[in-house]
Amino acid sequence: MEIDKPVSKPSGAEPSRLDAGSGEGSPAVAGSAIEFRLDPSSGVPTYLQLVQQVEHALRLGYLKPGDQLPKVRDAVASLVINPNTVLKAYRNLEAKGLAAGRPGQGTFITATLSQAGLPELTGLRRALSGWVVSADAAGLDDSAIVALFTSVLRDFRERHDGSAGRPDTADGGEAERVA
Amino acid sequence: MPARPEQNASVRPLPWRRMIWVTWRQHRFALTGVAVLLGGLAVYVWLVGRQLHHAYALASACHPAGSPVCSVLASSFQSMDVQLSNGFVWQPLPALIGAFIGAPLLARELETGTFRYAWTQGFGRRRWTLAKLVLLATTVTAAAAAFSVLLSWYYQPYFTAGNQGRFLTALSPLASGLFDLRGVVFAAWTLAAFAIGALAGVLIRRVVPAIVATLVAYAGLALAAATFLRQHYLTALVTKNVDVPGTALVLSQWWTKGSQFAFGRAPITLLQRICPPPPPKAGPGNFSKSDFVGQCLSRHGYTQLTSYQPASRFWSFQLIEGSWLLALSLLLIGVTIWLVHRRTA
Amino acid sequence: MNVIEASGLGKRYGGTWALRECSLAIPAGHVAALVGPNGAGKTTLLNLAVGLMAPSAGSVTVLGGLPAGSLAALDGIAFVAQDTPLYKNLSVADMLHLTRNLNRRFDDRYVRSRLDDLGIPLQRKAARLSGGQQAQLALNLALARRPRLLVLDEPVAMLDPIARHDFMATVLTAAADDGVSVLLSSHVLAELERVADYLVLLSHGRVQVAGDVDDLLACHRVVTGPTAQADRYSEGLNVVHARRGEAQVHFLVRTNGSADPVPQGWEAHPVGLEELALAYLREPGAAALPGPARGDDAQLSAAMQ
Repeated sequence: MEIDKPVSKPSGAEPSRLDAGSGEGSPAVAGSAIEFRLDPSSGVPTYLQLVQQVEHALRLGYLKPGDQLPKVRDAVASLVINPNTVLKAYRNLEAKGLAAGRPGQGTFITATLSQAGLPELTGLRRALSGWVVSADAAGLDDSAIVALFTSVLRDFRERHDGSAGRPDTADGGEAERVA
Repeated sequence: MPARPEQNASVRPLPWRRMIWVTWRQHRFALTGVAVLLGGLAVYVWLVGRQLHHAYALASACHPAGSPVCSVLASSFQSMDVQLSNGFVWQPLPALIGAFIGAPLLARELETGTFRYAWTQGFGRRRWTLAKLVLLATTVTAAAAAFSVLLSWYYQPYFTAGNQGRFLTALSPLASGLFDLRGVVFAAWTLAAFAIGALAGVLIRRVVPAIVATLVAYAGLALAAATFLRQHYLTALVTKNVDVPGTALVLSQWWTKGSQFAFGRAPITLLQRICPPPPPKAGPGNFSKSDFVGQCLSRHGYTQLTSYQPASRFWSFQLIEGSWLLALSLLLIGVTIWLVHRRTA
Repeated sequence: MNVIEASGLGKRYGGTWALRECSLAIPAGHVAALVGPNGAGKTTLLNLAVGLMAPSAGSVTVLGGLPAGSLAALDGIAFVAQDTPLYKNLSVADMLHLTRNLNRRFDDRYVRSRLDDLGIPLQRKAARLSGGQQAQLALNLALARRPRLLVLDEPVAMLDPIARHDFMATVLTAAADDGVSVLLSSHVLAELERVADYLVLLSHGRVQVAGDVDDLLACHRVVTGPTAQADRYSEGLNVVHARRGEAQVHFLVRTNGSADPVPQGWEAHPVGLEELALAYLREPGAAALPGPARGDDAQLSAAMQ
């Protein structure tokens, strides 16, 4: 079966160039600061990945209040996902107060996530690096380190929030995740 | 994602004229082929016909008939285009036109699966079929009618009254090969072939088998019409007159004695008994053997009867045959549309 | 509005029933996937919905109650059959003209710009296009009719991965832009989870599963635990499919939507669409249907709604 020749004139709906990694991507589309990326093997529902990517971009400073999120049709065209998935992600962000839709224009960021200031981040990073060095010296490999960290984080959250469900990951009838 | 707003549940059907372009675009190859074929044949017929008409004009104007000069002209007319003169060479034309236009119409859609496209468009399955059938039927019938006008013109010299007296070929317009080339019947047979083809196409769903089936069915029908049906459209005339006009279609001849049927042809034993052949040098002039036998049997009280259809019934027969062919075509087309409506994917 | 409603729908060929007692109500505004193994009756169901076949039993209406195959239904539904039938000896431009003449609405500008983007020349005969280009042509002709429902029968089965991606991108972009509902059939489950938000699972001519994908995934989970406790624990559960090892057993269970805690030693995991569909396909007697269905499902379905 012959492979089609590449699209000659892209206009918003580009074909994917399959990356070597596990996700898919496409070049930036004018009008939005960020581009979505899917990791099909992560097990996380698609809409949740989109929500998490927006929150992550907010934390890292890629997105500021007033920035426009990708249009639904652009996200659909590049990721080849159901439009309702994108809408659900945006509704989720609206419910958290992070974004708001403007009719006829798109969805825009309205708030930021509270985050540690830049000096705190630097100090945290240095402390974490020291810990990783210790763990590596004790003979733990990458997945052991990640498992240890995730388990400690989970215990901390359970003690801290006092409930089994976390507001970020549970939505409706989702079952618990096991580290 | 919002669903689209409700639209009017009742829609008006699309105008029929859209199907003209659709039909032409899909069938232009076959239609052009038929046009080229008929056009080429028409040129041929016209060229040959002009020669024929010219020779006939010379021969028929020559006086006195029977003289050596006129005999030469007569025989040159007689010998022209003998292979065309019985008309059988034109018989396959309606069948071919009908089979190659009518059969693939639905068979190709069903064979290649394109009906899954055509019958889910907004135009609607039945209207699409009806439009195509009517447009193509009209086109092939009109083309055939035009061609048969040309053929009528070609064969006209053979049917002029008085040919026999001038020792020129006289053919019966009711004769098998010639009757269905002229008048309305040629076009009617083409229409019938098309209708048979369309029905075969929707029943058989494969192009080549449908074409074959159409040709076979048409051949059977044409044969039946020529050999059995046509003679009986009107009750045949019966005459004792031995001089039946050459343009009449003779059906049969038989002998009676005392108004009782005696025999069809005189048995050899009877002839040997009562009509022995005369000595070679007896009797003047051109005395054919059948004339001699005929006169001898008459002397013995036998009468020869001939049943025939006169040439004057040509148009009546044309209308009768044309009518039942038209009715048959309409019936077949109706069944075809009904089958399309009922046919599942 | 339901784009497709079927009630007791059945189709028989000679002596065999290709589809039996099929009752569906697929809502508008969704991308619905019709999945099932080959021979399950997917093509039959689609043919009945678009009016290419008449039912042997039951009825099917489309677009909010229109009879399938009626002129109004034909106007609002665009169908691309398996192997994307096109008139092979006609050019691309001819196919455009043909589709425009046979339909009430036709967005000529849209389809020409799409073909231009894809690099499909207008004068080329349809037979000389590649498989992916033929599929795109058929799809864009269908979308140019501005239908309310787009029905696709195994549209990507014969396409290479790039063509498949481009095809689905076109479908989903149209769904996002115009709100056109989509019903597509496939026997390949893996890529459907991102694309479909309504699932109909067909097996041996019967509907086994029908419902919104989010609802279905919320109502199912896999619980894993020791085999020794398996029978005791599973008594109170609605187990769809079990996979037993010597020491460990996995139960795919249907819940009523709430995340009940699992006992000590057991783990619960969410279910993906492919795993869910495969589990039901392996259990012909199981079903997950919305609405008043069979008796013991009534409670469950009431909770789901």
